[in-house]
Amino acid sequence: MPLKSKIEELKKRKEEVLQGGGEQAIAKQAAMGKLTARERIIALLDEDSFHEYDLFVEHEARDFGMDGKVLHGDGVVIGTGSIYGAPIAVFAQDFTVAGGSLGMMHARKITKIMDYALRMRIPLVGINDSGGARIQEGVNSLAGYGEIFWRNTLSSGIIPQLSVILGPCAGGAVYSPALTDFVFVVDKISKMFITGPEVIKSVLGEEISQDDLGGARVHAEITGNAHFYAESEIECFEQIKKLITFIPWNNSRKARRFEPKEPKPEFNIGKIVPNDPKQPYDVRDVIKALADDSDFFEIQEMWAGNIVIGFGRLNGETIGFVANQPLVMAGVLDVDSSDKAARFIRYCDAFNIPLCTLVDLPGYLPGIDQEHAGVIRHGAKLLYAYSEATVPKMTVILRKAYGGGYIAMSSRHLRADFVFAWPGAEIAVMGPEGAANIIFRKEITEAANPEEMRRKKVEEYKEKFANPYVAAARGYIDTVIEPKETRKLLLHALEVSSTKVADRPSKKHGIPPF
Amino acid sequence: MPLRDNKQLTAFIPGTIIDVKVKVGQQVKQGDILVILDAMKMHNRIISPINTTVKEINVKPGDRVVKGFVMVTLD
Repeated sequence: MPLKSKIEELKKRKEEVLQGGGEQAIAKQAAMGKLTARERIIALLDEDSFHEYDLFVEHEARDFGMDGKVLHGDGVVIGTGSIYGAPIAVFAQDFTVAGGSLGMMHARKITKIMDYALRMRIPLVGINDSGGARIQEGVNSLAGYGEIFWRNTLSSGIIPQLSVILGPCAGGAVYSPALTDFVFVVDKISKMFITGPEVIKSVLGEEISQDDLGGARVHAEITGNAHFYAESEIECFEQIKKLITFIPWNNSRKARRFEPKEPKPEFNIGKIVPNDPKQPYDVRDVIKALADDSDFFEIQEMWAGNIVIGFGRLNGETIGFVANQPLVMAGVLDVDSSDKAARFIRYCDAFNIPLCTLVDLPGYLPGIDQEHAGVIRHGAKLLYAYSEATVPKMTVILRKAYGGGYIAMSSRHLRADFVFAWPGAEIAVMGPEGAANIIFRKEITEAANPEEMRRKKVEEYKEKFANPYVAAARGYIDTVIEPKETRKLLLHALEVSSTKVADRPSKKHGIPPF
Repeated sequence: MPLRDNKQLTAFIPGTIIDVKVKVGQQVKQGDILVILDAMKMHNRIISPINTTVKEINVKPGDRVVKGFVMVTLD
């Protein structure tokens, strides 16, 4: 056969495979408001950067009528490309081919690109859109999932792993996204659950729709499984691209440096935090008053809003911001907010992203439900994550820092490198009311007018202890600063900690309170 | 099953009502402050999660509320 004909044959073969599940299945996918697997990859990656591999892979199943059945690409697309020039390995399940079901060769394609991503130390993006295990392939499907989970764990903390849920992702399939760093969901399209509505109905008699059980909003607002929520696939891809600009390719690199930019003047740091510690405010405005170009990329915005996490930049360098949010539940620490912040801190530590913590909290949330939900165990995650982190850690105490909350929020005692406090900071073992009631109990109860004595003692305590100077006197904070000096000091702190050495005793790994 | 109860606004922790900013039947927009609840050393703003009208108000300034108490019902 002449070369020209061989090339013609290649073209013909390619063309056929690129049809995926065929016209009808593609029309059905479009009717659901979904792009096809290749359309998604093209929309996500830099123009003309995508190269597909394993196009001609075929399944080997023989049973249950599978023999001779053609499944193009075995229902998954893999390849490499780039996002803003950063190399990316990607897989996208093709729902138009056998519902994106996971058979042995389908799984092998995914694990092949995972191995490639780990070997090349480049980020992995997985687009999930699959009905689940390919039942006809039996235990080979299960083996496939297991191989994926093992690789997710192996790669964890070495390369960034992003999971995009653009369709159903049920049963065992949910655990791969759960093992990755960031999960993206899209309204009306994403569905994630271990057991679906039908099983729940037959076993428990409870009726619920797929969306109410495990839709995008459920995972963005209630479970905390999702990190980013979008209204459309295109918006979701923009979120992924933006995230990629903030994170490094792998754990031996730093994130890309951008041209430093001053924060926007409309965020006046001296005017955001009210003097009265009982008045709430939006701590995100403080972050925007500090970050380059006032650009703050929030993560898990809709879940556990009492703590704010996300990426911004200082002097062009990516920073992980963690901040108590007085606007939501007074900014208390509880089960969910501890869990949310702890995971983010560990991410930043693994990927060489310095941490900036903004403190203003009344403490841990009291209550029977919190205690019984394991606030001890979950709260400990935060202590563990901050103590373990060796990236530069900068802490700014804006206002209240009481009790266990003070210790947990990147205090000197957990080895913050820099602790700054604003003049209005109140750093004490507990709030003035509580403290006065305990310390002066006798004077108060024995006074002719106990209420007046209580007020007097609270004032006395406030005067003496509700300030930053007691902690400053012990060196627990490095300096008391004016709000307007904060960015300058953070930039300086970052500069002097760029060569930080943090020696730790060697161990196989710690045992964080998961 | 509602994702988050956008109609019945409850106290997340026991506290004292400092202020009630709206009246029954009043139209409110998403983000409007309805009630100020003093709890956890903070004057917490209880805001309307949706655009709607106020159906019931079960608190007045000075009231002590227990956790989970329905302070405001929206239509």
